[in-house]
Amino acid sequence: MDVKLINPFIEAFLVVMPQIGFNDIKKGKMSLKDKNIKSDGVMINLGIIGDVKGNVLYGMTIENAKTIASKMMMGMSVETLDDMAQSALSELSNMLTANASINFSNMEINTNISTPTLMYGKDFNVQVNVQKVICIEILADGIPIEVNIAFNNYE
Amino acid sequence: MKNVKIVIVDDSPFSISILRDILAEKEFEVVGQASSLEETIKVVKETKPDLVTMDMTIPGTDGLECTRAIHKIDANIKVVVVSSMKDDEIVKKAKVNKVAGYVQKPVDPDEIATVINRAMAGDDLLLELQEIYFDVFKESFSNNLNRITKTIPTYGEMGQSNDTENSRGISIVIGIIGKCSGRMILDLSHETAKKLAEAALKREVKNMDECLAMLGEFTNIIGGNACSILNRKNKIFGLRVAPPTIFHGESLKISKSMLRTTSVLGETSFGEMYLNVGFERDEEEWM
Repeated sequence: MDVKLINPFIEAFLVVMPQIGFNDIKKGKMSLKDKNIKSDGVMINLGIIGDVKGNVLYGMTIENAKTIASKMMMGMSVETLDDMAQSALSELSNMLTANASINFSNMEINTNISTPTLMYGKDFNVQVNVQKVICIEILADGIPIEVNIAFNNYE
Repeated sequence: MKNVKIVIVDDSPFSISILRDILAEKEFEVVGQASSLEETIKVVKETKPDLVTMDMTIPGTDGLECTRAIHKIDANIKVVVVSSMKDDEIVKKAKVNKVAGYVQKPVDPDEIATVINRAMAGDDLLLELQEIYFDVFKESFSNNLNRITKTIPTYGEMGQSNDTENSRGISIVIGIIGKCSGRMILDLSHETAKKLAEAALKREVKNMDECLAMLGEFTNIIGGNACSILNRKNKIFGLRVAPPTIFHGESLKISKSMLRTTSVLGETSFGEMYLNVGFERDEEEWM
């Protein structure tokens, strides 16, 4: 498992999450998955192209997604994962990945990112086009967010 | 392209004079100049330029502080650094400070004109792309469906609604990166997917995985071909596609998007397929 690919994302969480009101950012479990990823409820996909090519998928439960969105909206209560909440989460994924992209560039790895696509539902699966996916769990004030890194042709 | 109004920030009157001549020769309109942070703020507020050329070394301040001050006044003003120094460290700092381009002194007239035009192209470029992209994607969908199944789809009306869309069962998402970034989604039911895969493979599909693999590749080809055609129309687009990600499940919803997207429902011999594509302007890419 190449730690080089994980650190830019962890650093991104450490920088971005406090900006939206989370104080305690911890690294959780790390795991290796195959190309089929089971969703917990919400998945946000961003394409990445450059010296590395692939996708990053942020996963969380719908309940946790609502909690994060609420915090991003200054504590406004979020009953359902409505347009506003979805937009906040998409924006968060964009900030995290853009930040990770800058961290990659500091390692001489140039990357560009696509716009995020958010998908949600009770029960769905995701299939990426690489055989192995590195998954790192980040705990933001105890809320788990999964970062699934599906990169290919990385040398 | 409209007349580009430019302010020159440099501490050397000699450099300002040379830059003025070069920019005038390239038919840009120099509306002001400044040699300190205070002057920069004053001139930018007064003249409302489209773009500022920025020296890096200015007594009492630096180009990056001036750049931040300019963006505080108006974040849309483009800043192009014109400096004798250019190394990785300084370029990185410039990028973090949202500089739109970098030209090293002594300034080559053609180079600075290209950098300025590229920095200014953004807004026009997105408009240009938005006018043409959807037809190109639709055509790519028709062509590739025809190529692999010898059938042609008919289309419903194009829509620009950004509301949450209920997936038909399988959604293939492709991220698009370039001077404008975006995404493409192809959505269809399991049944349609199976029929499509069988028509393409000319045999029964063995399992779901085979079906998804075929769909991923099909979507990848549609997106890749469409982006190539768009790049040929205007090479500044520089569009590239990320690998496909396939979402599938019973209660899947495609979220309302942050960007303006266009959708169409294609009626095919295998069932309906929903095509959704959208772009936004990306941050400057000049390194």
